[in-house]
Amino acid sequence: MLDRIASLGRLGLDIVASLGRSGRFLAGVLSGVPRPVTGFPLLVRQIYAVGVLSLAIVVVSGLFIGMVLGLQGYTILSDYGSESAIGQMIALTLVRELGPVVTALLFAGRAGSALTAEIGLMKATEQLSSMEMMGVDPLRRVVAPRLWAGFIAMPVLAVIFSVVGIWGGMLVGVEWLGVFEGSFWGNMQSSVDFLDDVMNGVIKSVVFGFVCAWIAVFQGYDCVPTSAGISSATTKTVVYSSLAVLGLDFVLTAVMFGDF
Amino acid sequence: MGSTAYISLKDVVFSRSGRRIFDGITLDIPRGKITAIMGPSGTGKTTLLRLIGGQLRPDSGSVQVDGHEVPRLKRKALYTLREKMGMLFQSGALFTDLSVFENVAFPLRVHTKLPEDMIHDIVLMKLEAVGLRGARHLMPSELSGGMTRRVALARSIALDPELIMYDEPFAGQDPIAMGVLVKLIRDLNSSMGLTSVLVSHDVPESLSICHYACIIADGKVIGAGTPEELKAHPSDQVQQFLQGQPDGPVPFHYPAKDAGQDYGLGGHT
Repeated sequence: MLDRIASLGRLGLDIVASLGRSGRFLAGVLSGVPRPVTGFPLLVRQIYAVGVLSLAIVVVSGLFIGMVLGLQGYTILSDYGSESAIGQMIALTLVRELGPVVTALLFAGRAGSALTAEIGLMKATEQLSSMEMMGVDPLRRVVAPRLWAGFIAMPVLAVIFSVVGIWGGMLVGVEWLGVFEGSFWGNMQSSVDFLDDVMNGVIKSVVFGFVCAWIAVFQGYDCVPTSAGISSATTKTVVYSSLAVLGLDFVLTAVMFGDF
Repeated sequence: MGSTAYISLKDVVFSRSGRRIFDGITLDIPRGKITAIMGPSGTGKTTLLRLIGGQLRPDSGSVQVDGHEVPRLKRKALYTLREKMGMLFQSGALFTDLSVFENVAFPLRVHTKLPEDMIHDIVLMKLEAVGLRGARHLMPSELSGGMTRRVALARSIALDPELIMYDEPFAGQDPIAMGVLVKLIRDLNSSMGLTSVLVSHDVPESLSICHYACIIADGKVIGAGTPEELKAHPSDQVQQFLQGQPDGPVPFHYPAKDAGQDYGLGGHT
């Protein structure tokens, strides 16, 4: 019994220590003064790696989710004879919730895991150490561009996801099931508010992008530099990022839309 | 050698994960010479290099490099000091996303504002020094182990450092690659006037090129001096290490309880 209490305490201490390390790590990454000449090309390369290369999975997922929303929405709304509201339903669902959340989950799986594995492997093969010994801070050279790239790429990906999703919903709703195109777009336009809906969705995706990128680079930097360590860090990145995104989504939704 | 010491460690104590690795180690590394630090695996030879490079801080004691007290240096001063240090890692630690040329050019691009054509010439000269000018277009994944270390060596001398630290440069190398590395370490030291610190457990190769050597075991220096002095050292532990004897002061058997008990003999029911 005492052993169990002790192990619970140890777990608690480990979690607190890990949170403390990640906070110090973040401060170390963000404290550097950006050097535009050297930093910008590194940032662009990372935006390409985490953003542009994630486009395919985001676009395809967005298309299918939009199409499914079109189908389900039509089935449900036509029972009440209000299938013309399908446009606003799809748009609100996507820009408020599914766009930021699903993109963040995809981002964690596609780009976050890659970031963790890359940084972890750089640690295991002493590339980070050798950089330090050359007088180059790996936090600024390796980690910072990746963190900022995630932060920048995620909202853009989420917006693309929502746009493609709406187009997918239109394909099913209007082109296939025959909802009147004017009411599809008109209802959407009248009910989706730029600040309340679109911007709140963008704010969500900014937060998710930051959290996912932070978790990914920290797990890579903090991993045990062995193959088992990297594997465990990659898993943790996906699991922690997904849980953090879903948890934060609830909190943000409550703050943004919970006018009770 | 006190006044000409480039690196000076005094009463350094260092523990990690509850294990004491150095228990008051004192060591001077002379300027402009090759000093070999030898010892059995797991005695903390690489840790010693990391203490010198400021990647680790000792629990107590002093680590001085070129008159600077490394553990007390602020981050910026430490990074400036490191520009005078080169380190050859055991794995080479080349950046896998950069070509051989770009790996060697990396420290030049980061720390200098030299024009591109000058960087090009310096990189080719450094690669020429290690015999790999023709391999500049290759990626690290296309290199053999020996070539990787030679490229890493070219990279670590790119900024013309004052000090170069070699972490197990001969480990896992074939005889030709080993011969090449021995020649390179000796030639670079004499031609560039470097202070070289060589961490290794390859006794013949290390003793053949070093001016001074010291042997570390159990967290302390157990023998130090020129190769000749070490070969004539009275300590049994030093002789066991130098001659590679399987049994001696360092026992062949890992500590265990009585054999009779382990085999179920000796009156146990």
